[in-house]
This record gives sequence, structure tokens and C-alpha cells, in this order.
Amino acid sequence: MENFDLKKQTPNLIVMALLVTLPLWINYVSYTQLGTQVVVMGLAAMALNFLLGYTGVLSFGHAAYFGLGAYGAAMTIRYIEPSTGLGVIVGTLAGMLAAMLIGPMIVRLRGVYFAMVTIAFGQVFYFIAFRWNTVTGGDDGLTGWKRMPLDFGFAKLDIQRDPTTFYYFVLVIFVIAVAIMGLLLRSPFGRTLIAIRENERRTRFMGINVNLHIWMSWVISCTFMALAGSMSALLNNFVDPRAFFWRQSGVFVIMCVMGGMRSFWGPMMGAAIYVWLQDYLSSATPNWQSFVGLVFVVVVLFFPRGVMGIIRRKATE
Amino acid sequence: MTNNGSSSKFDRRTLIKAGAVIGAAQLVSPFVRTARAADVVKIGVDNPLTGTYAALGKNEALGMAMAVDEINAKGGILGKKVELAIEDSTSGDAGTAVQKARKLIDRDQVNFIIGNINSALAQAIANVANEKSVFHVVPGGHTDSVTGQNCHWNTFRVCNTTQTEASAVATSLIKNAGKKWYYLTPDYAFGHSLQAGLEAAAAKLGGVKVGGDLTPLGTTDFSSYLIKAQAANPDVIIFLQAGDDAVNALKQAVQFGLDKKFHLAGAQQELEVLLGLPPEARIGTWVFEWYWNQPNVPGVKEFVAEVRKRSGGHVPTARTWFGYASIHTCALAAAQANSLDAVKMARAMQGFKLPPEIALMPDGAYYRAGQNQLIPDLYVGHAQSTGKDDPEDLFVVETVVKGADVSPTLEETMCKQDWPA
Repeated sequence: MENFDLKKQTPNLIVMALLVTLPLWINYVSYTQLGTQVVVMGLAAMALNFLLGYTGVLSFGHAAYFGLGAYGAAMTIRYIEPSTGLGVIVGTLAGMLAAMLIGPMIVRLRGVYFAMVTIAFGQVFYFIAFRWNTVTGGDDGLTGWKRMPLDFGFAKLDIQRDPTTFYYFVLVIFVIAVAIMGLLLRSPFGRTLIAIRENERRTRFMGINVNLHIWMSWVISCTFMALAGSMSALLNNFVDPRAFFWRQSGVFVIMCVMGGMRSFWGPMMGAAIYVWLQDYLSSATPNWQSFVGLVFVVVVLFFPRGVMGIIRRKATE
Repeated sequence: MTNNGSSSKFDRRTLIKAGAVIGAAQLVSPFVRTARAADVVKIGVDNPLTGTYAALGKNEALGMAMAVDEINAKGGILGKKVELAIEDSTSGDAGTAVQKARKLIDRDQVNFIIGNINSALAQAIANVANEKSVFHVVPGGHTDSVTGQNCHWNTFRVCNTTQTEASAVATSLIKNAGKKWYYLTPDYAFGHSLQAGLEAAAAKLGGVKVGGDLTPLGTTDFSSYLIKAQAANPDVIIFLQAGDDAVNALKQAVQFGLDKKFHLAGAQQELEVLLGLPPEARIGTWVFEWYWNQPNVPGVKEFVAEVRKRSGGHVPTARTWFGYASIHTCALAAAQANSLDAVKMARAMQGFKLPPEIALMPDGAYYRAGQNQLIPDLYVGHAQSTGKDDPEDLFVVETVVKGADVSPTLEETMCKQDWPA
């Protein structure tokens, strides 16, 4: 950050300004809860994009880590200790640990095989959550817990009752997570990932351990996914096995593609569009998924670089 | 895709732009939100419109709409017009139901929330409503815990608990069919608690469980389960499915010829399910929670006639009545408390007896204090393949059971209400 390039920082500043002021204007358009949902889903989509957009590896099973984060947080608060902070930490670590263990089994695979095996692992978690009624609550979801106010010792933050406070809590976590991902991508490590995406064989010939890098990218991506999952559980005070389901993984991929995989903020944009479309359309018609599908098809056919791709093209013109 | 030399005036860009404009026009409307009029009472409905329970949900919606019209014709709730805000909860996605409940409460700022047919979703909505202190009515989700272990001061339930239904039907089943039972149970809260209820009720009368299977919600092919049931050689095969699952299960059981070898039965049965079955599959002993053919109960005939007008000639089902009674419960609570404050309304409904023109049952119905569970009559009888006077008269009521006689006691329900200080 030796010389601050205003032009380069413009997108970051715009997104941040919009997110920070969100509670002020969201009520004219929607409601705070939905704003929080956008930030949570945005984090999830950006986490997936770390792997999908910047390493060029398609995972169709990221919902597994989203779900692990969600169940980790929920079960910690429900069974171990009613502490929001501990829940988030346990949830995130659970996702990270699972990713570290599953990673070595799949990093050798490429393309559709990688995607298929990630789905398979995701479904394993789905069925565990679905079947293990006594612990996970089965198909009914895990209830009987709620997010607790944060207690820092010197100050208390009531994220339980006040939706705006909770929104800012989620936003702070979001900003930290996104900053870490952004810095990682600017580092030599991030450049290596992009090199793998662009030409894997050439990268290998340069003496770079491609599988290790993919494994690291996978673990980072899944960890932030789990963080998003734990936020999502806190948001709803509820979690059910559909958080693990492959369809949820598909939704994350749709968000990335709709917003633009090659752009840092693209997945966030895609998440905002998807969440808002779902919220609005599902009130208007039970067939809302057809319309979301239609938008997706239009984007893929006409704007392969997503919504951010259009904006960028306009900007360069 | 890169056909730049195209001479056509209507090129791809024009199409995209036109599409974008049309799309944007569709999306602008929600920005123009009408200010929430102070003279309107909003009732949020978070009930299935799609999936397994779509048909049941539509009938409940019809009953609700009818009740709203009646209430508005009499001056509304506390002099304010009543409006419904309806959201599709889906039939089995609790996450969506929770999100919709929050949307109704946070954005639409509803005074009441109603839902759900699926017990799991009903429980999830109840937790949200409790967190936000909104008066909540469950029209048709039966699992015990909603007004039992996980009961809340603000959640009222119109339909029966599964335990009550099981106790009502168990006596008749043991007497008519036999003691060895095999269970086919839908794999979610309602199914589990219904099976547990039946097992407990049967055990008291000497019944035994010879086997059972959990079937996922939305199963269409029951053949493997039916083959297993046949192999266990029970007296009775108990079907606990609801909605489309029940139609599929019973249809296939008859195709397999199981009705010739065993007694097919269950606890809860619905007119929607019987209507969906081929005539030969309309068999077995069941309990109905409300039935339209009650010639000796005043008010029922008028209710049926009004529903027929709205439904294109169809009779009301228990679901229509659930929806109808749910909305009236909201209106009665407000009138009784003379307030829209949830705590005052919930206090006013403790032990409240529904007026006969809404209860529409020989012995009436009341909300049991300390549990908020409606205690109505139950109708035990058997299905019949064709109605004599009406094609939709597919059930023969043998006995009307008083809910108070078969309901577990308040201690047995384990309900402890968490009233705000």
C-alpha cells in the first residue's frame, strides 16, 4: 500500500460505503434482515470464488462446509456453552478441519471429477445431519437455541434483539474475512493460484507444487465458507440439513457466475441479486425458481463475465 | 455470438436492452411501498403453497379467506380492516419457513402469524414468533411438542396433538383389526411423534409393534417398504403419511393386494387424501378431526354451503375448517383482550371456548389454559369407496370422541409456558 491508487480502490470504496450505510436506506427497499442475509451469502460466494474464480477449480460441494459452520455454531451454543463467539470459532474450525482432511483425497482430481467428488462428500454430511435425529434434530432442524449477546468484559453488544447491531457485527466479520482473502490474492501465493488457473501444466513445469496449492486454496475457501455458515445459523437462530444439500452448493455457484467469477466483488453482487430476487419473487409467485433460472440463463448466455463483467466493460469504454 | 456484421435493426443489444427495461419495470414496483395504514390489521400466513402439502394448504387458505370476509363484513378487528399477507413456506424446507416468518414480522409487521401444516415448520415458526412476541396460530401441524415440550405462551394450535389422535383411534383399531401392528411412518417430527403416540396407546390395550419403516417425505415409490411390511405378517399395517405421500402409499398397497391380507389403517386421515385415492383404496379405520357431514350440528350446513360457493362445489375438509378457525381465533383474541398486544391477547384466550358457529362440533371446542391447545371433538370411523348422497362423502363417522377424554393431561404434555415478565 505504498501509494494509494484511488482509481484501483474505487470499487472497494463504493462497496464499503454501500454496506456501511445499508441500515439507513434498506428499509425503503427491503428490511435489515435481508441486508444481513446478503452480507452472509456474499461472504459465502466470495469464499467459493477464492477457489472457483482464482484457482479455477469448480467445487459443487461447498454447502458441506457452510453446513458444518452452521451446525458447529448452533450445536456449540445449544449443547456446550451459550456463547456466540465460541460458536463461531468452533463452527469455522469444524469446517476447516473437515476441509483439511477431505482435501488430500480430492486435490488430484480435475474438472468434473473434482466437482462430483465434492458433491459426494457434501451429501455424506447432509445424510448425517438428516438421520441423526437425537443430536442434529434431523429434518426438523436444530432449534432450542439462539445467538447470545456478545460480552467483551468491558462492554456488552446486544446482537440478540437489535437487528442493526447484529448487521454491523456480521459486517465487521465480513470485512475482516474479505480483507484477508484480498491480501492473500495480492500475495505471491495468490498469484500462483491464478497461474494454476491460467495454465496448470506450465505452472507445474516451473517447479510449483500444484496439488499443495490447490489444497491450500481449498482449505482457505472452505474455512471462510464455514465462517459464513456460522453467521447464517446465527442470523436465523436456526439450522436444518438443507444447509448441507447439494442444491445449496449450486446456489453458491450460481451467485458466483451471476455476479462474475473473474471479479473480486462479483460474487457479492451475485449474492445480492440472488437473495433479493428470491425474497421478492417468492412472495409474488410460488414458481420463483423458474424466474431465477431464467435470469441465470440470460446471464450465462449473454454476459459470461457476469454482472460485474458488464460494469467493467462499460467503465473501460 | 459475434455477428457484428448483422444488418438487422433488431440486434442482440436491442434485445438485451429491451429485456433489461422490462425486467427493471417488474422490479421497481416493490420500491413504491405503501405506508402501513394504521387502520389495517395484518395477519401473516406462512403456509405451504407448493410441494406435498399444496392441496392441504390451498384448503386452509380458502377457509382463511372466508373467515377474513366474515370478519370484515362485521367491522373487522377492533374496527380495523383485516388483511392477509401470504407467503409460501414450501412443504418441507424449514429454513425458508423461518426466513418467511421473519419477513412477515420484520418487514410486513404483521399483528398475527399463522402457520404451518408441516409440524417441523410449525415448530420453527413458533420459535421465531416467540422471539419476536407475535401472536401465533398453528392451523394444522400436529406434532406434540408444539403445545408440549416446546410450547410457548404466544403459540395456539387449532388441530389436535398426535397423541390425542392416536388415543382416539387405538381402541377402535384393536377391537376391529387385531393387536400386531406394522408402522409406515414419514421421517419427520409429525411422523415420529404420531408413531410414538400410537405405540403408547396400543401398548395400554395389549397391542404390539412387529416392525416399521421410516419413509422420507415426498416418497413416491413405496414398494420396497410394502414388501417388508408384508413379510412381517402383521394384523394391521399403519399408514401415518399425510398429503400426497398417503395417496401414493395407499394406492400402491392396494395394487399389491395388501388390503386383502391385512387390515390397512392409520391414525389421522384427511378427505383430500381419500379423494385422491381410487375408490377401491378408500378403506381402513381412521380418525378425522372435523367432518362436513354432521347433520345434527347447527351451523355446519350453512358453513358447507358457503364453502361450496367459493370452491366450485367442493365440500369443506378439516383443513378448510382449520384455516377458518385460525383466523377467527386471531379476531376473537383481539376482541376478547380489546387490544392487539400479544401478551394481553394470549392471556385472554386461556381456557377460551370457541362460539358454536365457529367450533361447528357437537360438544364445542376450547383452548386449554396453560397449553394453548384447542380441545375439540374427534371423529373415529372408516373410509368408504363411494358416498351415497354426495360423491365427496367418503367417511363414515362411527363415534364422536370428546377431545378432553383422550387428551393427555397438562402434566403429561410437559408444557411449561415462558410468559414475559
